[in-house]
Amino acid sequence: MIAAEFGESRGDGMLLGTKRRRGGASDGPFGIVAPPMSLLRPATLCAIALLACLPGALNAKPWWMRGVESNENDFLPPDAAFHLGASVEGTQVRVRWVIADGYYLYKQKIGIVAESPDLVLGRPELPRGIIKTDAYMGTQEIYTQQLETRVAYTRIDAGAHPMQIKVTYQGCAEAGLCYPPITRVVFPSLGPPPQAYGGDARPWEITAIVAGALAFLIAGFVLRRDRKLDLPAQ
Amino acid sequence: MTPRGWWLLCSCAVVLIAAGAFTRLYFNPSPGTAATLKVPAGLASPPSPSDLAVDDIAAPKIPERMPDFALKDLSGKSTPVSRWAGKSLMINFWATWCAPCRQEIPLLKTLSGELQAKNVQIIGIAVDYPDKVEDYAGQMKIGYPILVGEQDALDVATALGVASPAFPFTVFTDQHGEVVTLFVGALHRPQVDLILKEVNAVNLGQRALSEAREKIASGLAELSESTAKGS
Repeated sequence: MIAAEFGESRGDGMLLGTKRRRGGASDGPFGIVAPPMSLLRPATLCAIALLACLPGALNAKPWWMRGVESNENDFLPPDAAFHLGASVEGTQVRVRWVIADGYYLYKQKIGIVAESPDLVLGRPELPRGIIKTDAYMGTQEIYTQQLETRVAYTRIDAGAHPMQIKVTYQGCAEAGLCYPPITRVVFPSLGPPPQAYGGDARPWEITAIVAGALAFLIAGFVLRRDRKLDLPAQ
Repeated sequence: MTPRGWWLLCSCAVVLIAAGAFTRLYFNPSPGTAATLKVPAGLASPPSPSDLAVDDIAAPKIPERMPDFALKDLSGKSTPVSRWAGKSLMINFWATWCAPCRQEIPLLKTLSGELQAKNVQIIGIAVDYPDKVEDYAGQMKIGYPILVGEQDALDVATALGVASPAFPFTVFTDQHGEVVTLFVGALHRPQVDLILKEVNAVNLGQRALSEAREKIASGLAELSESTAKGS
């Protein structure tokens, strides 16, 4: 006999378990005793499916997944809190952070240096930030929402190495959590992406295709010349 | 061959070359194009785990028991955590560069006095440079024991299931060294009271560990909800 058994309600949700038992009726006050045949009825199956969804719906882990828990999910992982991107535009590298709501970056902790040996970077000019004063760290300049900076660059031996920059930054969540300094080596993407298959992407193939189309037409004309249509006699 | 035949032959050759060119382009796009397609403009950083959906990553598991470790104290002497065996522990990971960590210290100082009688020991683990920690601890007159480390302290965090630590976070154990909960972020009085009440209930045998963990999880969720409503 199978008994679907509810655990007792405990604060944030319910514990749900299904146990296989031999003989006897369910002993719990919330126990449902059902013979195997009726368990297969569509309505019963729907009810079981709904019950199985309960722990998820109530945001509780089922009993077999429970262990020591933390509130870590209240916070974003660092790369989601501070999303970094970089691109090359003309003679400048553009570095941009998209900062999640409720998170901030310290101006003082931002650093952008060249990583490739043939790359020389200028000093990043950071925009004015928001002044944040607290009793524990004093007055600091911070950035929220988004930050963009452009750094002039020159290459001593262009093309010998892939262009790489090293970006360092550090930030916190307003809710009371600070991430250690983050360092990322970034390959800045090249400005606007070249048009796929267009213009100078693969010059000889494009020319050959155009010539082929023309040649096809010419062949058609050549074959048709001096030829009369064999129209059926009226 | 007639001029017409020559015309036909040349046209066919050109058409064949064109077909070849088309096949080449279709099955083997130019390297420049391929690179641009793979990396969207402006998002050229190498992929990191956080680029994936959060649900795809198995969260590191917090161990059931406090792992055994030893770190240096402010005088440079290696101190094993087993020194406080038999006490409930409240181990606070912090750093001097972290504002919420500094904000938490006055509360921890007050608690360390109150908790002596309740057999609860507060220990600070600073993931930082020893000289900076020593200066700050002196300035703040921190009375509870402070251990300091860099990579070795990060290894302890990893052993506790915190793979990429952000600070502060605090681990609570019962008197047998079982981990009751791990709290990420700055602690406030209501949260500490809630957790320590459950730790005490476990120590007195009034509550099973799993039950206490559930009570803490639901209690903390309620607290953060009421804070969200209040703000």
